Amino acid sequence: MVYCKKCVYPIISVNLEIGEDGICSSCKTFEEFNSLTSYDWEEKKKKFEIIVEQIKKNNKSNYDCVIPVSGGKDSYYQTHKIISDYKLKPLLVTYHGNNYLPEGDFNRDNMRKVFDADHIVWGPSVEVLKKLNILGFEKMGDMNWHAHCGIFTSPIIIAAKFKIPFLIWGEIPWDISGMYKANDYPEFSARVRHEHGLRGYEWQDFIHHKDIKILEKDMIWAKYPSDEEIVKLGIRGIYIGNYFKWDPNEHSKLMQSLYNWKPLEGNFQRTYRKISNLDDRYESGIHDLLKFIKFGYGRCSDHASKDIRTGYLSRDEAIKLVMKYDHVVSDDLYYWLKYIGKDENYFWKIADKFRDPRTWKIKDGNWIKENVDGSISSYGKVHLTPDEIDLFNKKNK
Amino acid sequence: MKKRRLIPVLLIKNGMVVQSRNFKEFQKIGMVKTSVKRCSEWGSDELILLDISRENKYDLNRDDLNFVNNNSFIDIVLDISKSCFMPITVGGKIYSLKDIENYLVSGADKVAINTSAVLDPKFLDLASKKFGSQCIVNSVDVKLINNKYIVCINNGSEVSSYELKEWLKISEQNGTGEIFINSIDNDGRGNGFDLELINLVESNINIPVVCCGGAGKFEHFLEVAEKTNVDGIAAANFFQHVDQSVFLTKKILYEKNFNFREPRFLKI
Amino acid sequence: MLNKICIIDYGSGNQKSLYNLIDYLGYNVCLSRDQQDISNSSHLLLPGVGSYADLMEKIKSLNLDDLINEHVLIKKKPFLGICVGMQVLSTLGNENVRTKGLDLIEGEVRIINSFGLKIPHIGWNNINLKKNSFLENKILFNLDFYFLHSYVFDLKDKNNAIGFTEYGETFPSIINKENIWGFQFHPEKSQEAGQLILKKFFHF
Repeated sequence: MVYCKKCVYPIISVNLEIGEDGICSSCKTFEEFNSLTSYDWEEKKKKFEIIVEQIKKNNKSNYDCVIPVSGGKDSYYQTHKIISDYKLKPLLVTYHGNNYLPEGDFNRDNMRKVFDADHIVWGPSVEVLKKLNILGFEKMGDMNWHAHCGIFTSPIIIAAKFKIPFLIWGEIPWDISGMYKANDYPEFSARVRHEHGLRGYEWQDFIHHKDIKILEKDMIWAKYPSDEEIVKLGIRGIYIGNYFKWDPNEHSKLMQSLYNWKPLEGNFQRTYRKISNLDDRYESGIHDLLKFIKFGYGRCSDHASKDIRTGYLSRDEAIKLVMKYDHVVSDDLYYWLKYIGKDENYFWKIADKFRDPRTWKIKDGNWIKENVDGSISSYGKVHLTPDEIDLFNKKNK
Repeated sequence: MKKRRLIPVLLIKNGMVVQSRNFKEFQKIGMVKTSVKRCSEWGSDELILLDISRENKYDLNRDDLNFVNNNSFIDIVLDISKSCFMPITVGGKIYSLKDIENYLVSGADKVAINTSAVLDPKFLDLASKKFGSQCIVNSVDVKLINNKYIVCINNGSEVSSYELKEWLKISEQNGTGEIFINSIDNDGRGNGFDLELINLVESNINIPVVCCGGAGKFEHFLEVAEKTNVDGIAAANFFQHVDQSVFLTKKILYEKNFNFREPRFLKI
Repeated sequence: MLNKICIIDYGSGNQKSLYNLIDYLGYNVCLSRDQQDISNSSHLLLPGVGSYADLMEKIKSLNLDDLINEHVLIKKKPFLGICVGMQVLSTLGNENVRTKGLDLIEGEVRIINSFGLKIPHIGWNNINLKKNSFLENKILFNLDFYFLHSYVFDLKDKNNAIGFTEYGETFPSIINKENIWGFQFHPEKSQEAGQLILKKFFHF
């Protein structure tokens, strides 16, 4: 397994490209943005202000823009920028996937108290969500598919319904894979939503299961508007990360001091950071554990790689953290199993089907892989049937 | 009256669409199938698919997606032919007449030949006689060296001994049907097309020309349409980051009366 | 009678795209050179990319010319030649080497006289349809079709021209004689326009 020479990402990382010099696309994109001068950022800010002018000029709706928010530190930062710096009136829209941690609940509900903004929270029926948790897990090894879908669809549906052309998003998506350059100015794209966010699945793929019944009318929050609708209304999703320097640690400090935004009390089990993913207990938990089960790396690798780039960690320190956290089976597994009414055996039997032969091998009935420090470790029993093991070994060739 | 063409280019490296800068730095964009579908839905006039993989390995690197993991470039072409009903030019790793035939049978309307043509111009002649000139596109990558445009090969990594003007003559004499001219210097920079290069090619050849390299905003396309007579305007990175990009670009060109087809959304 | 479309398989050319489109449109379609399949079909298609001589050589070497004569001339099955497939319907082709064609519609294929415009003719162009033609359709003929050729069909009988396109000279882009049709453009690549016109042809 080849790893980036600078950070701790393996070459198998989703959408990552490692160049001939051994440095990955995520590091390179970070470097590019990091070496922009204050003049460059001034120019970028001016570009954003042109957009603000367009928002003000063409606005026929009651609201100036939609801000999709989860209640996280970034949501607060985006809202703060739009209201305080640009004096616009946004409509906050949240997709509620029913996975909030208590601090996340507080932060989300606090938004319209600390910001002078209306807030729509769209939560699909919990019964439907539980079914989607199961189907997402069984289909593609991700119980959180519904959340990726909801977050990237419901705000656009609301924007279309209220005829609000602009949506203001925050960090440019897929910066963890470095999929764009500083001069690309990517906007929200249905293509990226579909193939990267939703892995190529849409609501139609979830309504035909013979045992788990979901109807079309249960999925209206998941139906992305047509091209014609988008173009007719001129709907555009703008990432402020294109125009302003993105610094999550700074944002979190600022949001805590200005608006009493709460980080996690206590610690996450699978990463050392406490300021991310409070809106979904599984994001650093079992949803991310499944990333480890598939590809052999986890959320700690994501955070540590970012912190290497900003100089907060050395590569050796990062490696130690990755070895400590990436593989941890967190307690939210049991919370989830109770939520959907299944047992632990069910989890491992299905999860193991998604082990990727590009990372994993089977030895003495256990899963083994090469680590970022070059060592090889065993990571637990294989929960596959003999036929499934055969199939896996064939793929491994 | 024949219209001018707006053409998205998909660079495919090891099975995925990538974007490039100066032919050296690559970033993943996504699945070939989705990009092709979007370009179709946005009413592109043609599509150019170039295989720029250095090794013969095609792999999406994961198995949990709702996409077929094709193991060869031909399989990719066959796969997209199932749902792409617009003209496609396919290029990359064309070494023999059999390679050309394989692409044409799999769904390509034209093939783009680059390095093989420079190494042996007679190959162009044989290809155009067998398959017809209209199928044969000569994809030409150039770099400005000592104030002259020099033809480069092997994905821009090697400099040939041909100066552009000289090469264009040879290419046309050997039966090429169309020139696809790519500026390595402007590639991925987003600072505009190389108008001087385009006009140089236009005035030194009697076959249709498609230009590429440097698109960063809508205005760049207007510049090319206005200041050159080029038949086709192509871009790779530019169409990937904004929805309905092709449609919106066409709309601007159409509304300014530059003789492009009316922009339409299509069902496939 | 249920439509069964047969695309004549001569081993090369852009058959897959045509097959995929007709399948996508919901028709029963096969790609074959088998006597039985051709016999059972309601419509026959001959697609073509490449050169006139190359296509004729393949047709002759597989004895497809006899099959075509039997089902098209004698049994009068609706038959459509596309691009080079239309050109080989002629008496004679002049691309590189003078080659005899299928002689199903009299005429010769020669290089286009584009009056200085660049050759090949590559891109989207419109078609002026003869009035009261079977293919007439308001939407259809406001759209453009995709052309990719350097040679055009010089018809002996100008009445065989149903649609005309201008590229320097005005040449026949749709030809017809009884059950035999020819499209100089590529319907399988002409997006909406192509799909509409194929569906019209399948009603013939």
